[in-house]
Amino acid sequence: MVKKPKVGFYSFSGCEGDLLTIIHCEDELLDIFGAVDVRSFRMASSERHDDESLDVAFVEGSITTKQQSEKIKKIRERSSVIVAIGSCACYGGPQSARLGYDDWEERFKKVYAGARLTIVKPQESQPLDEYIKVDYYIPGCPMDKHQFFYALTRLAKGMPVELSRFPVCAECKWNENECLLLKGQLCLGPVTAGGCNSRCPNYGLPCIGCWGPTDEANVASEINLLKERNFREQEIVNKLRLFGGSSMVKRFGELLGIKKTSHASSVKTISRSGKKPAASKSSTTGNK
Amino acid sequence: MSLERIKIESLARVEGHGGITVHFKEGKLSKVTVDIHEGPRLMESIAIGRTPSQVVSLNCRICAICTLSHRYAALRAMEKALEITVSPKVQLMRDLMHCGEMIESNALHVFLLALPDYFGFPSAVHMVPDYAEDIQAGLRVKKFGVRLMELTSARPIHGENPIIGGFGRYPSKSEFLKFKYEAESLIPDAERGIEILRNLRQPTYMEEGMTFMCTKPEHDRYGWVGDRILTSTGEEFNVWDYRKLTNERVVSHSMAKRSSFKNKPYMVSALARFNLLGERLDGEAGEHFRRCYNLSWIRNPMYNNVAQAIETVWALEEVPRLIDRIIALDEDPEIVPPSRDKGAGSAAVEAPRGTLYHHYEIAEGKVVAADVITPTAQFLDMLETHIGVAAETLVKEGETDDIELKLEMVARAYDPCISCSTHLVRVKGL
Repeated sequence: MVKKPKVGFYSFSGCEGDLLTIIHCEDELLDIFGAVDVRSFRMASSERHDDESLDVAFVEGSITTKQQSEKIKKIRERSSVIVAIGSCACYGGPQSARLGYDDWEERFKKVYAGARLTIVKPQESQPLDEYIKVDYYIPGCPMDKHQFFYALTRLAKGMPVELSRFPVCAECKWNENECLLLKGQLCLGPVTAGGCNSRCPNYGLPCIGCWGPTDEANVASEINLLKERNFREQEIVNKLRLFGGSSMVKRFGELLGIKKTSHASSVKTISRSGKKPAASKSSTTGNK
Repeated sequence: MSLERIKIESLARVEGHGGITVHFKEGKLSKVTVDIHEGPRLMESIAIGRTPSQVVSLNCRICAICTLSHRYAALRAMEKALEITVSPKVQLMRDLMHCGEMIESNALHVFLLALPDYFGFPSAVHMVPDYAEDIQAGLRVKKFGVRLMELTSARPIHGENPIIGGFGRYPSKSEFLKFKYEAESLIPDAERGIEILRNLRQPTYMEEGMTFMCTKPEHDRYGWVGDRILTSTGEEFNVWDYRKLTNERVVSHSMAKRSSFKNKPYMVSALARFNLLGERLDGEAGEHFRRCYNLSWIRNPMYNNVAQAIETVWALEEVPRLIDRIIALDEDPEIVPPSRDKGAGSAAVEAPRGTLYHHYEIAEGKVVAADVITPTAQFLDMLETHIGVAAETLVKEGETDDIELKLEMVARAYDPCISCSTHLVRVKGL
């Protein structure tokens, strides 16, 4: 009998919507637990083996404390493949919407005013690849279960993963929806990663960009298009930044008027599909 | 040998990241802390300066399990602030989506998170070889809840269809009818949860009296939404005065603020709802409630598991009633636009794990203040009390062999949502 691959599921700061997406696979849940050897899944099981090596680790959430940044490095050390699941792990999520504005400390004081916290050392929300090398990225808020199944089955057989590379617009056309941009709505479909089956436009609602930018996103042209339709630049940038996290800072920082801090500019670029070159942080160029 | 400390680093089978530490001094309990390790996200500060609709999309992402409760509370608060009145059909659709979430979350907690403890398994998956039918019944009920959330909100998690002023799109009559019949057929599966829990002896080592709170429905039936809050001290508050009920403070061992009422801890949950409104339960759920209820329910949080199982049946019975009323209303209402661009609004809805408050202030069409108080943040003091009583009792009786598990069971009975609990901070301006 072929040995089942050892898999761990981990979560950092976020809503746990990506692990919940897996728990919501009622029809497949027992098959998933049967097909791979689940060594850790705290949300579903109290059984844990948190010091052994893993074939694949699926990780959701962004890193917002020093303790988390240490823990993710340890997971990296003992895992052959790391898959970032969900927009928080991939780009930092909505809690990274102000990356590059350099106001984190001020905001922290405002929210936790007067708190003498002893339990964790908080820091600004960053995606996983700020701290470790990530092998694959499955974006989404939350991720789509079909992309997860696809990645899991491929990785369980030791094969590489290629995820969809088209924008929401492409799916929206396949679904024959009326174009919301043409109807004067602030829709982010042209620049947002597809794979959600254009969920919101199918309901007559503009795309909010929750999967982050697609590989070929032409953000400059989207902004111009929206400005022509009388949307204010600030409003457009606000919307682009809500879910774009670090990818907006790294890829479109100048365009969006985001100050590139030394922290952010030292960060690797994000490749959603395909394996990243196994290089050190400083020498990684990515595909952008 | 005397015990000095019990430490549970990381609670399993709960949402989010938390632990428990119990300290003893010379054999006596000295301190209990439910430690919240969840990393801060500062979502409230991200909300400032954004449009109300962006903030609805943002704040439902505080939590995946109770995404629609957050969304419902946010929509109600925003609509009060912007003076929007929605039509009865919108109201009914929102109640239907709320049923979906209650079914999803309660079934997940009862069957997958709570039950394994009673049978000595680490997870529901491990239970399958011995209890396949029970677990599969639970999964069927949970799946229906998830699909109902998808039907009404466009996605199982973080669906964007419910928006300020209405819905993007309404399901067709035939889709509604399919869900109506399915809900009816799933009642026996949900009742299985009640039967299993009824035949188990609930542990009593943590018993201690509680103060309860819940939202008072706007009608005289059972329900989860309204503008008044009931307390077991016999008082009633307007939701606008929510801060008089929650009285938050900061503690050093937690990334969540704490709440207390009249300097005492209190409980919000299905158990709180049933203690305050249980006599309003109708149908089969009402029968089950009257069969199961006993005086321990005011002292023993383990009965929250039973209350959730019964509430799941009530929600499944409510779905056909709501659907009948929705399809009787032919027209799909237009989205209602705001009648002003400034104002303030507070709202409460019952999330599966208790009362959830959202409060917003809007000026020139932008959010200038935001406050979210979650059920878990409210009941953490009560949970610490019960953990303390449990630890003391178990140590006194010499039952320390699997004391960690027994304390974890108490924590799990509360069905805490720890990701949520770290979002409760009032932020104004930036």
